[in-house]
Amino acid sequence: MKRKLAAAITIAGMMVSVAACGGNSKDDSKDAGPGSWKGQTLTVWTMDGSAPPQWTKDVQAAFEKKTGAKVKFEIQKWDGIQQKITTALSEDNPPDVLEVGNTQTPAYAATGGLADLADVKKEIGADWTQSVSQSSVFEGKQYAAPWYFANRVVIYNKAIWAKAGIKDTPKTRDEFFKDLETIGKKTDAEPLYLPGQNWYFLDGLIIGQGGDLVKKQGGKYVSNLADPKVSAAMETYKKYAAYSKAPKDKDEATPQQATIFAKGKTGAMIGMGWEAGTAIQTDKSIEKDLGYFTIPGQTAGKPEGVFLGGSNLAVAQNSKKQSLAKEFLKVALSDSYEGELAKLNGIVPNKTSLQTNLKGNAAAEAAAPAAAGGGTTPLIPEWAAVENTPNPIKSYMTAVLNGKDPAAAAKDVEGEINKRLAQQN
Amino acid sequence: MSVQTEGTDTAGEPAVRKARIPGPPRGADRDSGSPSRRGVAAPYLLLLPALLATVVLLGWPLVKNGMLSFQNLNPRQLIQHLTEWNGVDNYKEVLTGPDFWKVVERSVFFTAVNVVLIMAFGTLIGLLLARLGKKMRLTLLVGLVLAWAMPYIAATTVYQWLFAQRFGVVNWVLDKLGWHSMADYNWLGSQFSTFSVIILLIVWQSVPFVAINLYAATTTIPRELYEAASLDGAGAWQSFTSVTLPFLRPFLYATTFLEVIWVFKAFPQVFAINEGGPDRLTETLPIYAYVEGVGNQHFGVGAAISFLTILALLIITSYYLRMVLKQEEDEL
Amino acid sequence: MKRSLFGRIWPNATAVILFVGFVFPVYWMFATAFKPTNDIISEDPVWFPTNLTLSHFQKAIHADHFWTLVVNSVTVTVLSVVFSLVIALFAAFALARMRFRGRRGLIVTFMLAQMAPWEVMIIAIYMIVRDDDMLNSLVPLTVFYTMMVLPLTILTLRGYVAAVPKELEESAMVDGCTRMQAFRKVIFPLLAPGLMATSLFGFITAWNEFPLVLILNKDIEKQTLPLWLSQFQTAFGDDWGATMAASSLFALPILILFIFLQRKAVSGLTDGAVKG
Repeated sequence: MKRKLAAAITIAGMMVSVAACGGNSKDDSKDAGPGSWKGQTLTVWTMDGSAPPQWTKDVQAAFEKKTGAKVKFEIQKWDGIQQKITTALSEDNPPDVLEVGNTQTPAYAATGGLADLADVKKEIGADWTQSVSQSSVFEGKQYAAPWYFANRVVIYNKAIWAKAGIKDTPKTRDEFFKDLETIGKKTDAEPLYLPGQNWYFLDGLIIGQGGDLVKKQGGKYVSNLADPKVSAAMETYKKYAAYSKAPKDKDEATPQQATIFAKGKTGAMIGMGWEAGTAIQTDKSIEKDLGYFTIPGQTAGKPEGVFLGGSNLAVAQNSKKQSLAKEFLKVALSDSYEGELAKLNGIVPNKTSLQTNLKGNAAAEAAAPAAAGGGTTPLIPEWAAVENTPNPIKSYMTAVLNGKDPAAAAKDVEGEINKRLAQQN
Repeated sequence: MSVQTEGTDTAGEPAVRKARIPGPPRGADRDSGSPSRRGVAAPYLLLLPALLATVVLLGWPLVKNGMLSFQNLNPRQLIQHLTEWNGVDNYKEVLTGPDFWKVVERSVFFTAVNVVLIMAFGTLIGLLLARLGKKMRLTLLVGLVLAWAMPYIAATTVYQWLFAQRFGVVNWVLDKLGWHSMADYNWLGSQFSTFSVIILLIVWQSVPFVAINLYAATTTIPRELYEAASLDGAGAWQSFTSVTLPFLRPFLYATTFLEVIWVFKAFPQVFAINEGGPDRLTETLPIYAYVEGVGNQHFGVGAAISFLTILALLIITSYYLRMVLKQEEDEL
Repeated sequence: MKRSLFGRIWPNATAVILFVGFVFPVYWMFATAFKPTNDIISEDPVWFPTNLTLSHFQKAIHADHFWTLVVNSVTVTVLSVVFSLVIALFAAFALARMRFRGRRGLIVTFMLAQMAPWEVMIIAIYMIVRDDDMLNSLVPLTVFYTMMVLPLTILTLRGYVAAVPKELEESAMVDGCTRMQAFRKVIFPLLAPGLMATSLFGFITAWNEFPLVLILNKDIEKQTLPLWLSQFQTAFGDDWGATMAASSLFALPILILFIFLQRKAVSGLTDGAVKG
């Protein structure tokens, strides 16, 4: 399986949309159908930071108008989410619609906890970007609908860069390092905030190196962490981390790095475009200083590899309101609201035709050039277990940053990774 | 012989985790059993609710847990409500795995260090309380009670703050004391330092219980015993070893037993500080069971580990349990 | 007894040091909660905050459903404490005052029961509750919390019951009371301090409980304060002011209850029952 996603999701492609919004729904066969919708309440789980309040409000209104049913959004924290979703899917009254990370979708599809969305795909998914829809297909069936995608950019503090006398944003990795060095020398700011366990950034670097996290051995997937390409990526990470005083044993969400960036004493951080919003929420005064650029790669022409993070929307198999849940997907993923989400959060939408919404969004424009060279974690059901807390790759990162040789550190955690990859479903 | 009988009583008493204890009750109370017994059924009726609760609310989960430990139970089985028996595979996986015995060893060591520290400091502070003047005693009691009453989760959060790498007050103090390498020290970065924080937290929270109860127990030691001892020409140390210590012994046994249980199964303190990290090096048995079972979603294996955890706890406390059984026997 | 100057000073000096050691974390929690952020993240700690702020508390209370969680926590805690006390009182009375076959076995059973490591059984409990369709309800929480504190409550109360002089009960019965009346009028009042003291253990356990409610109740309207505190902590990370404010709010009821009940329990015991 090719891990690189096609360049199709870049801004470049601006095909005409086959406007297939959910306006004209036919009766669903699954359950009671439109007649019984009135008075029902649909529960939707979205992850912390995914759905901006404005979007939630608009979708809520549109959905209620269309179906007469209510919808209740419940925001979930990332911490411990896998266990929460697993147990929830086993219950009689699970959340009807839930956001599932793209790297975790194959695993949940394999458990049988997600409903088959063939009809939704048929109705509104004809022009979903193939490469991003891929993570929600398992054994030929569509188990989730692609919702949004994003990759990391460099978010920087213009005021600090100006103070350090830097005029232009860097075009290569070496230039970037030089700039960070200058900031460290000329200002009292921390050049970069990069905690030791921002593992999706490392994944991007690995993708940039052309490395793979797993390899097939005797029909089974096993860890490939000791691969020289992975080690090289980790060495690059280490160089970055040297410019940061952030804890080596924490990830970017504990604490939310944006809240630190918001204090105005950090030159740059590597994060999702929407994290700028979190920073502004923390401290309004940071807004005027925010800037973005593509994570530079080895050479000027080719940006750094990135992890294409993303989320899908799935319907729980045990939900008793399946037709209503699917109706919700049709509203939420319709061009107007998918477009609105792209505009508000600066994320890559699920159709190339909707990417016009990103025009003028500085973060998204910075993200776009890298997306072509982006990739994900291995899209195999076995993978999700590897990322369960405590994630052995994060331990590996901390060990290397504390001075251990990458190959040796990899050897230390490979047993655990292989154990998890072998874990039966 | 009265001391022996008291032993059984104190076994229950220190259980007042949060209260000062009345002195060991006089043995005489227990021995003069009531001659009039109305209805043989009365005690059973009185015990019925407690028994019922124990069987349903504890027995059932235990049995269920035992059954799960013989199943292949992963997200797919959980979600689809499938039951797949897999014999002793889970136990085999755990017992032959590289981690389990290491974790057992670590748990035992962890428990031993904590309990020794708790009992030593608790006893010393308890005896100190008895020596203090009224005002000073009250002051120290207030301090002890505050530490004792702190809810675990709040206490854990506070310790994280005290030992925070940046702006944590402990690092600041160490730095000012001339230990400059500690200025930006990451306490959660290594196994030893993480355990140090956890142990300090647990000892801080547990010592008050031992100290206050021990002090309360010393106040019930009859003065005459000391007078008799001093008439026999005993010095301070001798009267301590010949009067105080024997009197407190059953109490010390019982408290040690409780502390062993509490420390061994301590979960929130150990887990919340660093989630068993770094690199899973501070996982004790309950944490290991939780991480493997719930965290890794390998529920059958988790159930097997938790069964083994219970077993380990039984073995560790068996000495004391046997003692209790014997004493109750003597008494009847 | 005469003591040297040194002999008089060292106990007091030690006591002062110990007092500071035990109180400091609690003090630092409250102090941080009231300090403005600049004083919290200052290079030199501000030991005694002078300009106080309530903003951290406002932030802490601002969380969704805060008051619902408060109500839930109080409900679950109080109910499970009351249930366990009532059930335990019956059992403790039987164990302390009566002779019957199987008594020894029962005592050991309760000793074993209090060793149960609940956290490692939560998947089993989860499946039981799920299959009985009782998720997202305060009922299973209440009954399981009751059970968590029951064994220790029984063993403790047994000690208290045994400590009440049997003669009191007997003389009441001589005066014409039935056993039940004797219990209600004579023993129960003497036991009251013991009951209060014992209840503290239940309060602490139920108030703190975390893993079970996390897995059983996904509906935020049925959750309790420990979840709020822990999620608050992950969300606010290094915002120590807000985190300490939340911790203070969480700890305060227990601290107050403790100081109140502790005094009652002790004075009750020393005044009457035991020495009387």
